[in-house]
Amino acid sequence: MAGGRRGVQMPHLSKMERVVVSMQDPDQGVEMRNQRLRITVIPHTVAGSDVVDWLVQKYCISEEEALHLGTLLVQHGYLYSLRSPRSLVLRPDDTPYRFQTPYFWTSTLWPAAELDYAIYLTKKNIRKQGALVGHEKEHYDQLHRKINHTWDLVVMQAREQLRAAKQRRKGDRLVIACQEQTYWLVNRPPPGVPSVLEQGPERSSCTAGRVQMTKNMEFYKQEMERCRKALTRARVKSSICLEAYLKFSSQHGPHDPIMSGCLPSNPWVTDDDTYWTMNAPSVAVPTKLRVERWGFSFQELLEDPLGRAHFMDFLRTEFSAENLSFWEACEELRHGRQAQVHAMVDSVYQQFLAPGAARWVNIDSRTMERTLEGLQQPHRYVLDDAQLHIYMLMKKDSYPRFLKSSAYKDLLAEAVIPPEAKRRVFPFMRKPRHSSPSPALLPASTSGEPVAAASGPKCGDGGT
Amino acid sequence: MAREECKALLDALNKATACYHHLVLTVGGSADSQNLREELQKTRQKAQELAVATRAQLTAALRDRGLGAEERAEFERLWVAFSGCLDLLEADMRRALALGTAFPLHAPRRPLVRTGVAGAAAGVAARALSARSLRHEAEGDFDVDDQRELEREILQVSEMIHDMEMKVNVPRWTVQARQTAGAELQASASASSVGAVSVQERTGPCDPSKALAATVFSAVLLAAVALAVCVAKLS
Repeated sequence: MAGGRRGVQMPHLSKMERVVVSMQDPDQGVEMRNQRLRITVIPHTVAGSDVVDWLVQKYCISEEEALHLGTLLVQHGYLYSLRSPRSLVLRPDDTPYRFQTPYFWTSTLWPAAELDYAIYLTKKNIRKQGALVGHEKEHYDQLHRKINHTWDLVVMQAREQLRAAKQRRKGDRLVIACQEQTYWLVNRPPPGVPSVLEQGPERSSCTAGRVQMTKNMEFYKQEMERCRKALTRARVKSSICLEAYLKFSSQHGPHDPIMSGCLPSNPWVTDDDTYWTMNAPSVAVPTKLRVERWGFSFQELLEDPLGRAHFMDFLRTEFSAENLSFWEACEELRHGRQAQVHAMVDSVYQQFLAPGAARWVNIDSRTMERTLEGLQQPHRYVLDDAQLHIYMLMKKDSYPRFLKSSAYKDLLAEAVIPPEAKRRVFPFMRKPRHSSPSPALLPASTSGEPVAAASGPKCGDGGT
Repeated sequence: MAREECKALLDALNKATACYHHLVLTVGGSADSQNLREELQKTRQKAQELAVATRAQLTAALRDRGLGAEERAEFERLWVAFSGCLDLLEADMRRALALGTAFPLHAPRRPLVRTGVAGAAAGVAARALSARSLRHEAEGDFDVDDQRELEREILQVSEMIHDMEMKVNVPRWTVQARQTAGAELQASASASSVGAVSVQERTGPCDPSKALAATVFSAVLLAAVALAVCVAKLS
């Protein structure tokens, strides 16, 4: 079956149909007149101004809006003009219009088929004795190539449909011809006219925009499913979220290079990369801001390699370094290579978990049972429970003691605050900007001494 | 011969489908009535009978292994046209069902769309049934029962199409149509006369006035000639 029902995808079509049907009401609908064509009289014509007045009265809208609504009806083919059928506009004067038959409504007909279009063009060709012009001639030739295998059927049907139409009265014949012409003007617009039936990409996941008019079983089933899914979602109160966010912002504010500037100077601006060398991952003397950050949360401490190293030293003095080693080993397992998972799990077990192991970690019995069970079929996440337990242990126990320890306080005291780079008084004596080295030639060492790095550009300066 | 029979059946089915299409066009409009629904039913039943007969003949012909290549190509062409026709019929039947349910005849709250088409289509149905005229013998409430019948018939037709696809293997893209582009123009004499007649009918209303002017002019000319002759005779 070609396509789905258009009414479901384009809900405004069903709304327009309801408007059109309410216009047909014999008592409260639009006033109809007769069209006189030399000898034949065809009923059921409406004037544009009547349509606009009826819309204004029924929906209590302004005239401008009624005009816009009426134009939409004409553009989608529910109403067609008798004098100038190609201009799809509603004129608020006495131009006559007529309603389209429901067969040709955009939502009842499945997407306009190529075969039907071919039959229509062939009929037009016969009627005009071969004088098809413009885009219709092009489409005709195109279709002849595309659906060549059914062209016999096309010709047969076109002839028969014309002969069947002969059986009707002249007035009916004219009306039906106009209806078909309007339908194809809307569905195959001539070049230059925007197609009103174009839809954007199908968004099947977004059901929020779909207006479901009939509340049947399907609708309620979907509602129940949606509510059930919503119940299982984890929710945090916004007050708590906002508090945490405020705390984070106020804590990290002074540490952010953009909000509070960076010392000695922003390398992107002054071309002086002292800032980066001083904050390299492993440096002898860390900056003060960096050491302060280790106090914000345990996660920050562990993520910084220098902080982790100092923490490890501290744990060694407390004889609980195996905890951190175990945690690091688990991290390696999680992020390591798939081929080595088995071997790593074995080595971790032998080193840390086996009874009587060299560096036995203290895990509670339930977690230990679960881990030992999981070790029968090892995978990279099998030690997650144990790792989390040790992590929480370190966080609650060792970490606060580290922050209060003399080691940390000494680090804080020794940390260096880089001086702000002096601004040169004479701007034209600025350091010449040298192009960055080609990426093919990697620098020998990334963590050089700050002095050496700072002297490098100066040598260049002195040389020129 | 089998081929002529098949062709004749296919032509009849084609005619019935075209007439059915024409009748379905007016469902839901101002010409919708009990009579129309009855005509629809008769037309589609005739179309279905023809479809079954054509299918039997064509299947028998295509199953025959002793066919020559040319004859086989001919039958394949007929087959493609037949299945296309059946698809059109099924699509129209589905639309008729949708429109019939959307615009029930006896519901007071849902008026029919005033499309300007009035007038009986009995001639169209008669043409489909190849009869002279059509008698309407339906009782009230015909359309409600008819809708149910229609549903069943749609299922039958789609089953038939499915069967056809499964049992007969005719690749459509290999079929070469006999008609070229514009073949409908140099059709049989009846078709061209149909076209000419329609053109003439379009300008129909003009002709009486032109004929009137011509007669008046010739009358005046004759009178002038007669007067001149009289004057010449008298003088």
